[in-house]
Amino acid sequence: MASVELSQLTKRFGGLEVISGLNLSVEDGSFCALLGPSGCGKSTLLRMIAGLETVTGGTVRIGDRDVTTTEPKSRGVAMVFQSYALYPHLTVAENIGFSLSLAGVSKAKKTEQVARVAAMLRLEPLLERKPAQLSGGQRQRVAIGRALVRDPSVFLFDEPLSNLDALLRVQMRLELAKLHNDLKTTMIYVTHDQVEAMTLADKIVVLDKGVISQAGSPWELYNRPANRFVAGFIGSPGMNFLKGQARHGADGITVTLQGGVTLTLPPRAVAGFAGERSVEIGIRPEHVTLASGSAAQFSGKASVVEYLGNTSFAYVDTPQGSIIVQADGATRINAGDTVGLALAVAEAHIFDDTGRAWSHL
Amino acid sequence: MSGDPTTRDTSQSTALSHLTRSPAGILLTLLTLICAALWFFPIYWALITSLRSDQATVQEFGLLPTEPTLSGYIFSIVNSELPIWYLNSTITSVSVTVLVVFMSACTGFAISQLRFPGRMLLWWTILASFMVPITALIVNHFIIIAGVGLLNTHIGMILPMLLSPVTVIVYKQFFDGLPKEFREAAVMDGATELQVFLRVFLPMNWGVTTALAIITFIGAWNSFLWPFLVAQDEKMMTVTVGVSAVQDAYGVAYGRVLAGAVLASLPVALAYLFFQRRVTQAITLSAGIKG
Repeated sequence: MASVELSQLTKRFGGLEVISGLNLSVEDGSFCALLGPSGCGKSTLLRMIAGLETVTGGTVRIGDRDVTTTEPKSRGVAMVFQSYALYPHLTVAENIGFSLSLAGVSKAKKTEQVARVAAMLRLEPLLERKPAQLSGGQRQRVAIGRALVRDPSVFLFDEPLSNLDALLRVQMRLELAKLHNDLKTTMIYVTHDQVEAMTLADKIVVLDKGVISQAGSPWELYNRPANRFVAGFIGSPGMNFLKGQARHGADGITVTLQGGVTLTLPPRAVAGFAGERSVEIGIRPEHVTLASGSAAQFSGKASVVEYLGNTSFAYVDTPQGSIIVQADGATRINAGDTVGLALAVAEAHIFDDTGRAWSHL
Repeated sequence: MSGDPTTRDTSQSTALSHLTRSPAGILLTLLTLICAALWFFPIYWALITSLRSDQATVQEFGLLPTEPTLSGYIFSIVNSELPIWYLNSTITSVSVTVLVVFMSACTGFAISQLRFPGRMLLWWTILASFMVPITALIVNHFIIIAGVGLLNTHIGMILPMLLSPVTVIVYKQFFDGLPKEFREAAVMDGATELQVFLRVFLPMNWGVTTALAIITFIGAWNSFLWPFLVAQDEKMMTVTVGVSAVQDAYGVAYGRVLAGAVLASLPVALAYLFFQRRVTQAITLSAGIKG
């Protein structure tokens, strides 16, 4: 096991800078997810940690060693690829034991190690099969086994579940979580799927255009997003954003939304705020409720209703903008219905015109 | 439904049977059979002529020999250096095949997967060399081989035959087409570049290697011009050169000449018979490049 420290890490491809002076610390034994949209640099970052991509600037430390220019095989890391990259001409046993045979490990020792890993991943009946004879989930387990047999200090996963169907993905997610609980080895996991990141990771690093937008626990990212990008990226359906003008009021911050509704939000930790400022209010669908009469702060027409059984999502067009509301599954809303909405203002977020969040006190 | 192979096969066979039953289909089949017969007739004629005596070859014109004899074959084997020519052809063809395939695979891998100064220059040089026909270089080859004293030697015969840009191009294309993750996974597993090549890339392309090896072997066995120039002693001749020498020596002894020709082409015919799918694959692989 080992921690990973990235310091002022930069990567340029020609004139294009894809990672810009990035600093990150991944604690020993933690499960860290690198999350972000396509092209944000998360895979490049993982490949730099693996040593598959050269570093333009900065340093990579694994444990107490600077491995910035160290060969991949000597970094003590193992990687599971998105496409699994199982050697098609080798059996499952040969795939798992490939690194051991390259290292000149004796046949008896290799067989023992392969058997240990196969038992851990329930691959014993498949050891003599070729990758083409395996299902997606089995291939995934072999790929993990190939990484596991090297007994690495750090596991690197590059979107390992993205090729699996939805049901298998959930199953493999659980297996990965169990594996991490059993091994307690540092794992760095690249994904664009926030559900994977939220369910697996102790720490999520949200990347945007090669810089860290926010790093923190799943709770922090969901409940205390540092900026509008993170607020919009985490959560499904996404956060509602309503534009308005903010000013200091007697009980907190008063925001007059476009369309005329005025909300009073609890005070926020914000420096240099005087007079009036353009802001956006962010509110998650579960913090918007259906209301009637004087309790309704907004009203609008439901354009689309998604019924999910235990819950429903209604997309309501209001003069203030489109608002997604999460309703109880028992509540019947039909597309075209006019509904009243109320916001749990204590849960609302305020983002200034630079996209930065005003922290909750 | 179209994705179901059983359904597809059934529909294909139905379409085929409909085609063969229709007048146009019958006409097409007849035309194909006539073309096949025209193509096969010279081979058949060579076979039956090789089974006739020298006298019968100029007197009989039937489709079957009246008195079949193996005298032409016996004469070719006993009274010529055919066994030695066979040995020379085998040494040359096997050496050329092994060296061409191995060197081309190495070169294809290097150009495709490694990053080194001059890589693109090397690639363009190989492409450029592909534009120059080997026959245009044959005088240069002869002068060089003669200059280094390798005329009338196996090495002298083999060396110029090792130029095979097409094989390099085919390998490079195949290695280019492999997902980079295979190489990266091997590197993460601790493989050196040589191990990546020998233990991952080459075995993954075994089908291509076999196909290229067979087609290279056939090409080397059938080559005539260079072996004809470099082999100045009868004992250094290959089968193809030796058979032409028999023709020169025995004039119109067609039975003997064609018996020699049949013996000369036998290994290639057998190679094709046993590996025809691989040969077709190799021709398909290189056709896109040669075209």
